[in-house]
Amino acid sequence: MKLSNRYNKANILTSIVVLIITGIIYYVVIHFILTEKLDRDLAVEENEINQYVNTFHKLPLPASYLDQQISYKTLSGIISEREFLNTIYFNPKERENEPGRSLITVVHLDGKTIEVTITKSRVESEDLIRIILLITLGITVVLLLSLLLINRFVLSRLWRPFYSTLNRMKAFEVTRMDTIEQELTKIDEFNELNKSVNAMAERVRQDYKELKSFTDNASHEMMTPLAVINSKLDSLLQTESFTEQQGALLEDIYHATGRLSRLHQSLLLLAKIENNLIPDFQNIELKEMTEAKSRQFQELLEKDGLVLTEKLVPVEIKMSRYLADILLNNLFSNAVRHNVSGGHIHIQLDQQALTISNSGKASHLQTKIFDRFSKSVDSEGMGLGLAITKQICNLYGFRIDYHEESGEHVFTVYFGG
Amino acid sequence: MKILVIEDEQALLESILAYFTGEGNICEHASDFAAAYEKISLYSYDCILLDLGLPGGEGLELLTKLKQLKKRDGVLIISARHSLDDKLAGLDLGADDYLVKPFHLSELKARVSAIIRRKNFDGANIIVFNEITVDVSAMKITVKGNQVTLTKKEFDLLVYFLSNRNKVVTKNAMAEHLWGDEMDLSDDFDFIYTHVKNLRKKLLEAGAADYLRSVYGIGYKFGDI
Repeated sequence: MKLSNRYNKANILTSIVVLIITGIIYYVVIHFILTEKLDRDLAVEENEINQYVNTFHKLPLPASYLDQQISYKTLSGIISEREFLNTIYFNPKERENEPGRSLITVVHLDGKTIEVTITKSRVESEDLIRIILLITLGITVVLLLSLLLINRFVLSRLWRPFYSTLNRMKAFEVTRMDTIEQELTKIDEFNELNKSVNAMAERVRQDYKELKSFTDNASHEMMTPLAVINSKLDSLLQTESFTEQQGALLEDIYHATGRLSRLHQSLLLLAKIENNLIPDFQNIELKEMTEAKSRQFQELLEKDGLVLTEKLVPVEIKMSRYLADILLNNLFSNAVRHNVSGGHIHIQLDQQALTISNSGKASHLQTKIFDRFSKSVDSEGMGLGLAITKQICNLYGFRIDYHEESGEHVFTVYFGG
Repeated sequence: MKILVIEDEQALLESILAYFTGEGNICEHASDFAAAYEKISLYSYDCILLDLGLPGGEGLELLTKLKQLKKRDGVLIISARHSLDDKLAGLDLGADDYLVKPFHLSELKARVSAIIRRKNFDGANIIVFNEITVDVSAMKITVKGNQVTLTKKEFDLLVYFLSNRNKVVTKNAMAEHLWGDEMDLSDDFDFIYTHVKNLRKKLLEAGAADYLRSVYGIGYKFGDI
């Protein structure tokens, strides 16, 4: 729920409740005042009748005028008390029943007790109350409408700097070194928010820079001793006075350093892809590249007696040539490495996808196959190849999919995501 | 050949000097920016091996200085930074090649030899070793006047051996040279054996002496018997 909606809801609910309560109080008070006034008028009339009776010793005519009716009734026995009450009476002028206010009182004339009922119309006061009610309602509606309008327009304008800051935060990329430009507002809170966001972005960027230079330095510092080991091994080899056994030891050391430097390069490459630090973006003829790659792997295929079949159509995709090469390398290496002797590899390329399927042993890594350092027990690889492949696909919005069907391992890269 | 090695890592420098010295090569070295600058301004070299991270200055600056001095020395950058930007910057500034640490000395030698051949023979690019003559740009090999037909890989292998004559070259280094180091090959390089065997057979058939020897199962040595 949006803040403004939430605020609107509370605002409007409170307004409605307050207005209703005010309306009720208003109604009751005005009703009370008007009834008081009617009662006073009725008392004045009673007074007049009493004076008339005292002066002329007879009752005034039971007249009905000016929305006022007077009627007499001779009482015998029980003398009712003087009381005010609301009644319905027949207004002959309007020819209809109207609400009225009556005063029932008694006069004593010639020893007789006569009950006098004075009735006055309540229509006028009712009308007044109705009008007051309507005005109150009208004001309520106008107030609510204006509240809504204010909320809609003023609030949304007030909050605009907030949303622009939010959008800039969403678009923020740590790798891009451009600063978040400030949007000036007169509102302190938003200025503070802007300041904090910029400070945070600056801090993140600083940290990222430090991390990057750390990675660079670490790479440099690790590569140098590796280079020394390698060169010393090469030099050692030239001295040529080894036994067969020493030769075997040397070979093992060579393999280990080779693996170490490949591992290191792979990790650096992963970091680079993740941070989108590989700029060379161009059109790649994937068909040609795949064909070149299969020529490159020919010796490896022959060694294991693998049969390669291809079904390729010309496809052009946009990506880094360097990464495209690595992508194909990894998929090819994977298909060769996890194959069985005398097995087969089939490559299919069309506009939608590149599919490489190969025969092989059943694997149990299904879900973790693209994780770093996940590899089958007898694999010679480092377990980074497919992680890198996956990262490359992520970078360009491709989707890579793996499944195993009837003893075949099938990798598919969908270019459309 | 006159070679200048600019490298601040003493151990690596020693190995490179040891590998390159001999066979008429003269190697000089510099371990910091100032010394390197002095050497390149005073003398000319066939090839300069340049490490990018130097004490006292950025290696790429030396390239700019070299250009200002209008020198035609070949330059091979050796760097621990596996960065495409650095590579492109270096090549833009006039470096001839770029090699990432760690590398095999045999690979370094092959690349330096290629640069020097390109610089010195103005496109002629010919290697002569006893009775074997290799025209690298035309991809032609003759042994005692007889033309030998080699596949691309065998040819590359021969040039590699000739650049590293009398040195033991590991199968690992050969594989990386022929297939590229991005290939993430398995640790079993026996498939190289086929190429070496075929190359040797073709050279012998053409009448060359048997210069190739297998060493401890690690690699091969091509050179005087």
